[in-house]
Amino acid sequence: MSDFRSRGLEALKAKIAALEAGGRADSESLPFGDERIDDCLPGGGLPLGRWHELYGPGLEMETAAAPAAFAALLAAPLARRGEAVWVVRRDDLWAPGLAGLGFPPERLIQVCARDEAEALAVMEDALATVGVSAVFGEVETVDLTAGRRLQLACEKMGATGFVVRRRPYGGTAKREGAGSASATRWRVASAPSEPAAGEFGLGDPRFAVTLERCRGGRTGAWLFEASGAYSWETTDVAHPLRLVADLGDRQLAPAQSDRAAA
Amino acid sequence: MEPGSGRDDSDKACPFALVENVRGARRLAAVSLEAARLRLWPGQKVTDAVAVVPDLLTAEAEPEKDAEALSALVDWCVRFSPAVAADAPDGLFLDVGGVAHLFGGEAEMLADFQGRLAANGLPFRCTIADTPGAAWALAHYGADGTIAPPAGQGELIAPLPPAALRLDPDAAAQIERLGLRRIGQLMELPRAPLARRFGQATLDRLDQALGRTKEALTFRRPPTPWVARLAFFEPISAPEDLARVAHDVTAKLCERLEREGQGARKFEVCFHRVDGKALPVAVGLSLPGRDAARVAKLFAPKLETVDPGFGIDVVTIAAFEVEPVSGRQVKLDARKDAAVEDGLAPLVDRLANRLGEDRVWRAVPVESHVPELSVGRAPALNDKPCDQSSWDPEAPRPVRLFRRPEPVEDVLALTPDDPPRQFRWRGRLHRVSRAEGPERLGEEWWKREIEEVSAAHVRDYYRVEDADGQRFWLFRAGLYDPREPAKWWLHGLFG
Repeated sequence: MSDFRSRGLEALKAKIAALEAGGRADSESLPFGDERIDDCLPGGGLPLGRWHELYGPGLEMETAAAPAAFAALLAAPLARRGEAVWVVRRDDLWAPGLAGLGFPPERLIQVCARDEAEALAVMEDALATVGVSAVFGEVETVDLTAGRRLQLACEKMGATGFVVRRRPYGGTAKREGAGSASATRWRVASAPSEPAAGEFGLGDPRFAVTLERCRGGRTGAWLFEASGAYSWETTDVAHPLRLVADLGDRQLAPAQSDRAAA
Repeated sequence: MEPGSGRDDSDKACPFALVENVRGARRLAAVSLEAARLRLWPGQKVTDAVAVVPDLLTAEAEPEKDAEALSALVDWCVRFSPAVAADAPDGLFLDVGGVAHLFGGEAEMLADFQGRLAANGLPFRCTIADTPGAAWALAHYGADGTIAPPAGQGELIAPLPPAALRLDPDAAAQIERLGLRRIGQLMELPRAPLARRFGQATLDRLDQALGRTKEALTFRRPPTPWVARLAFFEPISAPEDLARVAHDVTAKLCERLEREGQGARKFEVCFHRVDGKALPVAVGLSLPGRDAARVAKLFAPKLETVDPGFGIDVVTIAAFEVEPVSGRQVKLDARKDAAVEDGLAPLVDRLANRLGEDRVWRAVPVESHVPELSVGRAPALNDKPCDQSSWDPEAPRPVRLFRRPEPVEDVLALTPDDPPRQFRWRGRLHRVSRAEGPERLGEEWWKREIEEVSAAHVRDYYRVEDADGQRFWLFRAGLYDPREPAKWWLHGLFG
C-alpha cells in the first residue's frame, strides 16, 4: 500500500516537474561534485535553464564584487558550452580578474545598459538567443513580472541566468518585493582565506555562501574555495568551486532541535 | 561642377562683396556679379574697391560657414551619386560613372541636377567629362553644361587658358607671360622640357586633365557601388510610409547583394526631403549580411528621428564594407549546433543598434603594464579569434576595477614597503589580516617624453584581505620618501 502511494506521488511529482519546465523534459543541472550541496539542489546540481539570484550583504550591495566573482565561478563550466553575456550598468567589471578565476573572458560579451529596465530587457533578449549559455545581469531588484519574463526567456533555449543584485552608488535601498521567480537565491560574502601551511600571503579565495531559497530543494550554508584561481591549471578542474565546509550544520542545528522540541 | 562666383541678386543692382583679412590688409574675398561688372575682383584691397565703387556693400567673409554650407550641399548631392567630393571653397565633384542611367542619361541627369540647384537658388556651372581635371577646366573656363564625349576632353580643353588646369597662380601667370595662352599649346610641347621649365606639378595637372594619370579625390563618404534608390511622384511623410519605403529600398539592394553573393556590414538609408535636406539613418551589422527583413527591422526604431518636413521625395540606400558571403547550408539539428549567424549575430546587432556600438564589446588583452590600459575593447563579434595569452592568470587581478582609484585614509603601514596594517575606505575601517605584495607597476616610460617620466607615477600594488575576508587591491603611489607621508589608493575589489 505504502509502496503504491509513494509510486503515485513520484508520478505526480514528475508531472509537476514537467509542467514547471515548460514541457521540456531535458531540464539539466550542473553538479558541484560534492553531495553535501548537490543533495540540497533539485536534480542534483545547479538547475540550468532557470535564473538564479545572488547578492552580497552590506557594502557589497553597492560593489557586488563577491557575488560577481561567485557567479563567474558558478558559470565557468557553462561558458565552455556557449557564449556568455554580462549586462552591467556601471562599467567596472574587469576581464583580467575573471580570467584569473578561470572564467574565459574571450567567450564573454559585455553590455553596458543605461538603466534598470534596459538591463532587464537586454538580459531577456540574450537569454532567448541561440548559442548563449549564460547571461549575467547586474540589477537592483527583479519584481515578479520581470522575474517571470526572465524565466520564460530562459526556457526558450535553455540558457541560464544569473542576476547579481546591485544598487547604484549613493542610491537608497529599494523595498524588497514580496516574492521572486528565481530558482535559487544565494547570499554571497567573502570569507578569510587559508593559505597552505608554510606559505605567505593569501590563500585561494573563499566565499561564505548561504542558499536562502531553492525551488524544489533545501536551503543551506557552505564555505567554498575557488581552488584553481590564479594559476594556469584553472581550466582543467571539473568545477572551479570546492566545498570546504558545511556551515549550515552549525547554524541550523539549534533551530531544528527547537522545532523538534516544540 | 562649379558654382558661379557669387549669388545673383537680380532685383537689386547693388554691388556686394565679402571682405577678409589677408596678412594685415583688408581685401575682397568674393564679389557679386554686379561688383564684377564694375571691375572689382577678389583679392583687391577694400580701400581701392571703395574708391572705385563708393556704394559697395561689404560683409565679413565666413570661411567656416562656407565650408559647412558646401558639406551640406555635398550631403544633398548623394541623391545623385554616392561618391561626392567637395572642392573647396566653392565646387564639388560628383562621380557619375554608372549612375547616369538611373536618370535616363547624362544630359537628363545634368538638366535635373541644374534644375534642382537653381530651384534652391544656387547658380552652378555644371559640366561632365572623363576626368575631374577636365570637368573642372570646362566648368570654370568652358561653356556651361558641356558634356565631353568619352575620351574627347582633349579637344574641348585645348582652347582654354592654362589657368584652367588648376595650376597655382604664379605658375599660370608665368606660363601666360611666355606666350602660351592655350592648353593646346602646352599639349604640343615636349614633355621633359615642360616639366623642367614649369615644374612637375604642371605636367601632372595636364596629365590628370587628359586622363593620362589618375587623380585621387577625397570623397565625403566612402564610395560604394552598392546603392539603390527609390523616387516618388508624391512626397511621403507618414511614419508607416517611411518604414515601408525603408524596407522596399533595402530589399532592392539586398536582392542585388544576394545575386552577386555579397553581404554588407553597414547600411545607410538617406531620406531626401523636398526642401533639399538629406536625413541619413545608418545601421551596422556585426557579420556581413543581406537579409532585407532583418536590416529593415534594425532601421525601424531609428525612423522616429527622421523629420519628414514637407515630405520626402527620394530615398537612397548605400551598403558599405561589402564582402563576399557564401550561402550557408541549413543545419538539421539547429538547437545543438547553432550557427553564429542565427543567434548571436542578430542579438549583437540588435543591442549595438539600440544601445550604441560602444556599449557592446568583448574585452581583449592589450600589451601594457598599466592595469587600466591592459584591457581593450573589441567588437562583440570578430571574424578572427584573438589570442588571450597576454593576461597572466598567476598575477591575481580584481574582478572590479574602479575607473578612478579611490583614496583611502588612516593607513597604518610600516615603511618602506610593508603592506598596510589597516585602512579606512568609505568610512569603514578595515584591519588587514593577510597581504601579498608589493607588485611594482611602473609607468610606460618608453611611450612618452623622457622629461615627463617621474618616479611619482610608480605604483606598488598589494593584495590584502581584511578580518572579514574581503579582498582589496591597494597601491601606494610614488617611491618611498621619508619626508612625505605615503599616498594610498584602492583600485579594485577581488570579492
